[in-house]
Amino acid sequence: MQTKTQLRLIISLLIIVGLGAAIYKNQVLGFSFFPETKVKVWTIEAKIEFMADGGPVKVTLNSADNSGNMVALNQETVGEKYLFSKEYNKAGDVTSGVWEKDSAEGKQVIFFRTSAYRMDENIEEQPPAAISDADLIIFEGASEKAAELLVKQIKESAGDEPLALTQNLLNHLNAAEKQSVQVLLQNSKKYGGFLELIRGLLARAGVNVKKAQGLFLETDSRGQKLDSMLLVYDNKKWQLVDPKTATIRTNENFLLWQSGNEPLFEVIGGKNSSVTFATNSSKVFASKASIAAGKKSGATLIDFSIYSLPLAEQNTFKLLLLIPLGALVVVILRNLVGVQTSGTFMPILIALTFLQTTLLWGLALFLVVVSVGLVMRSYLSHLNLLLVPRISAVLVFVIIIFVFISVLSIKMDFERGLQVTFFPMIIISWTIERMSVLWEEEGPRDVLIQGGGSLFTACIVYLVMINKFLGHLTYAFPELLLVLLAIVLIIGSYSGYRLTELRRFQPMTRES
Amino acid sequence: MFLTTPGRLNKVGVVGMNKRNVVCIARNNPRHLYPRVDNKLQTKILARDAGIKVPNLIGVVKTQGHVRELKDFLAEDKAFVIKPAKGSGGKGILVITDRAGEDYLKPSGERVSHQELCKHASNTLSGLFSLGGNNDVAMIEELVDFDPVFDGFSYQGVPDIRIILYKGYPVMAMTRLSTKDSDGKANLHQGAVGLGIDIRTGKALKAIQHGRPVTHHPDTEKEFRNFHVPKWSEFLELSSRCYEITELGYLGADIVLDAKKGALVLELNARPGLAIQMANGIGMQTRFDAVEPEVGKNRSPEERVAFSQKHFGMTQ
Repeated sequence: MQTKTQLRLIISLLIIVGLGAAIYKNQVLGFSFFPETKVKVWTIEAKIEFMADGGPVKVTLNSADNSGNMVALNQETVGEKYLFSKEYNKAGDVTSGVWEKDSAEGKQVIFFRTSAYRMDENIEEQPPAAISDADLIIFEGASEKAAELLVKQIKESAGDEPLALTQNLLNHLNAAEKQSVQVLLQNSKKYGGFLELIRGLLARAGVNVKKAQGLFLETDSRGQKLDSMLLVYDNKKWQLVDPKTATIRTNENFLLWQSGNEPLFEVIGGKNSSVTFATNSSKVFASKASIAAGKKSGATLIDFSIYSLPLAEQNTFKLLLLIPLGALVVVILRNLVGVQTSGTFMPILIALTFLQTTLLWGLALFLVVVSVGLVMRSYLSHLNLLLVPRISAVLVFVIIIFVFISVLSIKMDFERGLQVTFFPMIIISWTIERMSVLWEEEGPRDVLIQGGGSLFTACIVYLVMINKFLGHLTYAFPELLLVLLAIVLIIGSYSGYRLTELRRFQPMTRES
Repeated sequence: MFLTTPGRLNKVGVVGMNKRNVVCIARNNPRHLYPRVDNKLQTKILARDAGIKVPNLIGVVKTQGHVRELKDFLAEDKAFVIKPAKGSGGKGILVITDRAGEDYLKPSGERVSHQELCKHASNTLSGLFSLGGNNDVAMIEELVDFDPVFDGFSYQGVPDIRIILYKGYPVMAMTRLSTKDSDGKANLHQGAVGLGIDIRTGKALKAIQHGRPVTHHPDTEKEFRNFHVPKWSEFLELSSRCYEITELGYLGADIVLDAKKGALVLELNARPGLAIQMANGIGMQTRFDAVEPEVGKNRSPEERVAFSQKHFGMTQ
């Protein structure tokens, strides 16, 4: 009796805390329960790495600017031993983050995190100052002639329209067919690089151009570098042009990090420095986006959530948080429905593999590997080997099958076969071993029942894991894990009938 | 109807898998008592000391050194069984019925050389037959001289009687009879026949195969109605006394009938299955509920058997 009350207490506590926290986050902090809300909040994390020389260190990183309809806010540093300060411009926006330390030695890593979200309206932009002589590049000798010729050519074919001029010039430069163009390109280093060369040439043609670096916020990524772009003023607003393809890109997803001649980052007192970026999206109610993003430090609940982890780790957690969901499915199918599976959590791991291979293809690969493994394992039965050597032999079989399928698929130009390596080898080995023992002891019928049950469970787990809504819930509301735990505890103490038992014991109720 | 409802199952008192695990096993069988039944050597010693009849233990092979002494040790014994103490599902049981010169003979007449016998013992020691491949010991025990009374009821082998005890009270009994369909194995879901046995009389109740009632053995054509366990009270008392040595509240006792020695406890089981309910045509919960008020009265095994026989009879 006492354990029962205890259990009930724990279950109610878990549900209250879990649901309470989730509702608080939803109501007060503006996290949405549904993935399809209007505003996407991006978290961008810059990772600065360098080798400190041992003396005082000062690191400066230019911060993201507001541009287009992208708003950058809440610049902060994560878990640092450095003295951190921000520099502001006249408008009160953060222009850069500065880290200082009296002495540091060895490898240093600094994280700088920014949130960005898209507003419905564009930010008002100041028109640029008129082009002055200082903007022009003074070329030497042959280059000067080549530049003049090129500018004349593009003006002839594109008129005065800034974007057309830019695209025309880029096409010329990228094709590099004309001799004049080749001369300029060969000497581009002298004039500050390719982009600077373009800027100078377009200034000559009367077009206001800025170099820009930033990120296209499209998918979650890690270890990304900034994209180099051109900002061209078309007399109304700044347009984004990709210098490599000469195409106009929409600046909807573009987060401007650095423009003009501002340095991206500087490290004083260290060498071998690099900066990479990780991006990660989450969804927040439009009206409360700024609250969620901007007042993070104030909300202790969020400080203790996975949002306080470095971004790269957050992405790992997205997958990790799906596993309890899989476990719940297994618990339900086994204890409430009565599906027999081979190995308790094997279906979850198989489902994780399906996430990478897609369902049908994963199923096919799994069946091939396991059936070939079973045939090979059946030979081992005659040898009366001890358990551990036997499993190890099966493991070797599995690897051989993996290698064989991979090599064969490459030879046949069928790259998908390579995905066989996503399957967890040890689990597959144990599955084969267990099924083989089952075959010997209980016969093929039980192998089919358990194998089929496992695959069925794996498919359901897979379908649950790819569900966008559930995926969003687990990630945005990890505290719901407590509720999940409570459900598992409830099922754990459930002593009623399983669905399959209604069939199994059905003859007993027929007669009476 | 293909499915039944939980309500109807409850009415007949059927215990489901979850109830068995959560209520019967978890509440009544403390885990630290499991070795008393999972280790057959321990069971045998406990039973012997308590005066419960079991097949005699000839010896135990505990080390590889013992394997070398086997030849002299077994010189006197013609018929014996070698089995792993922690085996499961009948794996690793070697039955020797006779000798032919230096060799041993299996019931099928197959010859087993001494070397093969030693290898079997040594494989047992290194855990080939035990759960999880743990090290084990090999027990050598006397071969049961099965009473011919059950002849013809089983396709192969000799049936044993499974009695379920709830807190020491025999609540249900059955026997599993192998068929051609089950490949000679006494495994119900492979097609063996489950035959319920009346607690009061030891007579057959009803037989089921693949979950459906049958009246005759599909291979030997014997009528199950005529199945009757002789010396039934002896079986019940023997099983009931196992409660004192194991202290497990939910226990299955497998008992065989020796022609000379009478009923012998072969094995005990801390997690007996649920198919017995179908062979008896009634749920176990009804029996548990009847026993519950009796618990705490500190009854002797004989009194418990008398109680069960008085209350759980289903035939005239």
